[in-house]
Amino acid sequence: MNFDWTAEDKEIKTRLIGVFDQPCLRELEAIEDADLSELKNITSRFLKRLARIGYLGIGAGPIAGSDTLGLMAGQEELARISGSLFLAVEVTARIFAGLLRCFGGSGHAGNILQAVERGDLIGAVAVTEPAEQEHDGGLGAVAWLDGSDYVVNGKKDFVTNGPIADCLAILVHVEEQIAICVVEPGLPGLVIGPRMKTLGYNGVAVSAIELNEARVPRSQVLGPINDRSPLEFLRLTEDLVLTMASVGLIQRTIAEARKYSGLHQRSGKPIFAHQEIRFKLAEMLTLSQTSQLLAFRAGWMCSVSDSEAATLVRCAKVFAAEASEKIASMAMQIMAGQGYLSGNMIERGYRDAKYAAVAGTTSERARMAIADDLLKRYV
Amino acid sequence: MDFRLTEEQLMFKEQVLKFARREIVPRVQEHDLQGKFDRESWKRLGEFGILGLHFPEELGGSGADVMTSVLAAEALGEAGVDGGLTLSYGAHTYLCADTIFSHGTDEQRRKYIPRLAAGDWIGCMGLTEPGAGSDVASLRTRAQRDGSHWILNGTKMFITNGAIADVAVIYAKTDPSAGHSGISAFVVEKGTPGFSVSRSLNKMGVRTSPTSELVFEDCIIPAENLIGAEGSGFLMAMQTVEWDRSALLAPFVGAVSFLIQRCSRYAQEREQFGRPIAYFQAVRHKMADMKIFLEAARSLVYRIAWCKDQGRPLNHLEAAVAKLFVGDWSLGPTNDAMVLHGGYGYCHEYDVERIFRDGRLAPIGGGTSDVQKVLISRLM
Repeated sequence: MNFDWTAEDKEIKTRLIGVFDQPCLRELEAIEDADLSELKNITSRFLKRLARIGYLGIGAGPIAGSDTLGLMAGQEELARISGSLFLAVEVTARIFAGLLRCFGGSGHAGNILQAVERGDLIGAVAVTEPAEQEHDGGLGAVAWLDGSDYVVNGKKDFVTNGPIADCLAILVHVEEQIAICVVEPGLPGLVIGPRMKTLGYNGVAVSAIELNEARVPRSQVLGPINDRSPLEFLRLTEDLVLTMASVGLIQRTIAEARKYSGLHQRSGKPIFAHQEIRFKLAEMLTLSQTSQLLAFRAGWMCSVSDSEAATLVRCAKVFAAEASEKIASMAMQIMAGQGYLSGNMIERGYRDAKYAAVAGTTSERARMAIADDLLKRYV
Repeated sequence: MDFRLTEEQLMFKEQVLKFARREIVPRVQEHDLQGKFDRESWKRLGEFGILGLHFPEELGGSGADVMTSVLAAEALGEAGVDGGLTLSYGAHTYLCADTIFSHGTDEQRRKYIPRLAAGDWIGCMGLTEPGAGSDVASLRTRAQRDGSHWILNGTKMFITNGAIADVAVIYAKTDPSAGHSGISAFVVEKGTPGFSVSRSLNKMGVRTSPTSELVFEDCIIPAENLIGAEGSGFLMAMQTVEWDRSALLAPFVGAVSFLIQRCSRYAQEREQFGRPIAYFQAVRHKMADMKIFLEAARSLVYRIAWCKDQGRPLNHLEAAVAKLFVGDWSLGPTNDAMVLHGGYGYCHEYDVERIFRDGRLAPIGGGTSDVQKVLISRLM
């Protein structure tokens, strides 16, 4: 057992923090209000910078499990610095590239992976579908082989990075199997919807997409795969990313609330001197440390392929997501009117915090899955 | 980071689980209802080696590391051993015996540790007083030097094992003007003139663990019963915090593991509206919350144990975080387990009711949750 980061993990943290010098942090401030063109530029520039320190090549989830903790060491820092950039980067480097690494790896996918590691490409994954298309375990989007192309029809919702992506991985059904179509935005028949307005993470571009008789060359299709492993990979990887998004958000929020509590005065002394404020911060810190440790333990379990890894990831995600909501609410209470003003870090964090509970495996579905596992283990 | 437990640690935990289920658990309910200390279980804990796990073999222990000790304590809770017995064990081994072992003379170690490790003698620790709890500096119990003796006067309150202890580690002021530096620790044996148990306290939970008020009236003890240097008692008391935040918290964590297993089986057996209640989302959500708490709490408690095994000085912030989390957040799972069992869960004959009562101590004993918040906010 060892609760310390290894020297390599610490190095990842140091290198990542080193990317964000003062000019970079100022540049990053624009991300929350950026239009699509500006957002694409900012995201691309930071992908290049992160590529230079090797951050984009670190694996996550089952494909490169041994790297999971090292990756989380870096993720914690990036998520703390900017939640929006973190999501855009992780969707590209871990979710999109992870999918290609797991189920492709060579040929067309291999070239794309190299581009991701160089920071040349923004990636997106389209898997979620509109409610009317959902059915148990299946995908409404379908593809069939027609000569040397697959013809694809379907709709996808909530595609993170969708409007700014250079490349999209779209999950479809080929008969009863899952295939991954790797396409570029200009593909005839592929319609990228308008940017969706969201409550939080305003520096992330999300859209729906639609495929109408889109022809995808066979060489750009991974699979068909005769099990649900792509969906399982995506669920686990996305849940780990969202867990770390919450862990980072929590740290950012606490730092801001603590700073404010030392500066703002009431009854002639900083509000930190008042027990009602101190106790809130103590509870926030307790939730923070617990979220961190649980997340790292879940990550470690993935890295050693522990039989309870998936359950621990769900536990970590639910805990961190709910802790971040609670902490955001307490921080706003500490900052009172100042915290309620639009545009400040606490108000933004309050809006961002909800995302992790509703994205990936929702807290409700995660709880059901955790209980399913327990019911099987203890009969 | 690496959260792997060794094969030996995992095997030992499994052995403790089996031992406790076979040798201890069958008597738990009866003794809890009677509010009676279970001497037979105590004897068996001693024979199995639990009571002196981390002491060296030459003093009757097993030379185990802190993590193994924590796993053993967790296993007791997970097996369904009541919080009273595990509290008695914690107070005996860590608050009393370990203080003598860590700070006492060789003579004191040789005299007390083998007997305490075997369970032949029972130990307790007296720090809290009617007017002094977490505010240790306000202790009123006084120890005055008189030639080759110390004379103790004062009262100790909420002393776990007080009524049954053969040996007590007692904290008293030797220099009332010196604040924390004026506190010293002493060994006081049962039967010492002037040392008496004035009353035993009836409690909501941890009922098999006798809790008492101890009185010292011109209690004369030999000078050699001073533990460590005069004036170093406060530091000794603070060092027990490491154990308090690891081995003493571990049974609470283990108890939630027990509840998960109990609830899982009950939810699959109990039928309502024509199907097992495990079918219902509200039931499953409760079980999931228990599991989330369990894994979160484990992470925090193991961290304290690991740091102690590395020989690091206690990180008071991490210790307080572990105590606050286990204390406050464990109330949800123990409550949920009781509600999941419906009316049965409210009855004494179901162990979930006992665990609910026992668990209520977690945010109170060893420094309340509010005290932990004071500490955390001071250190953050």
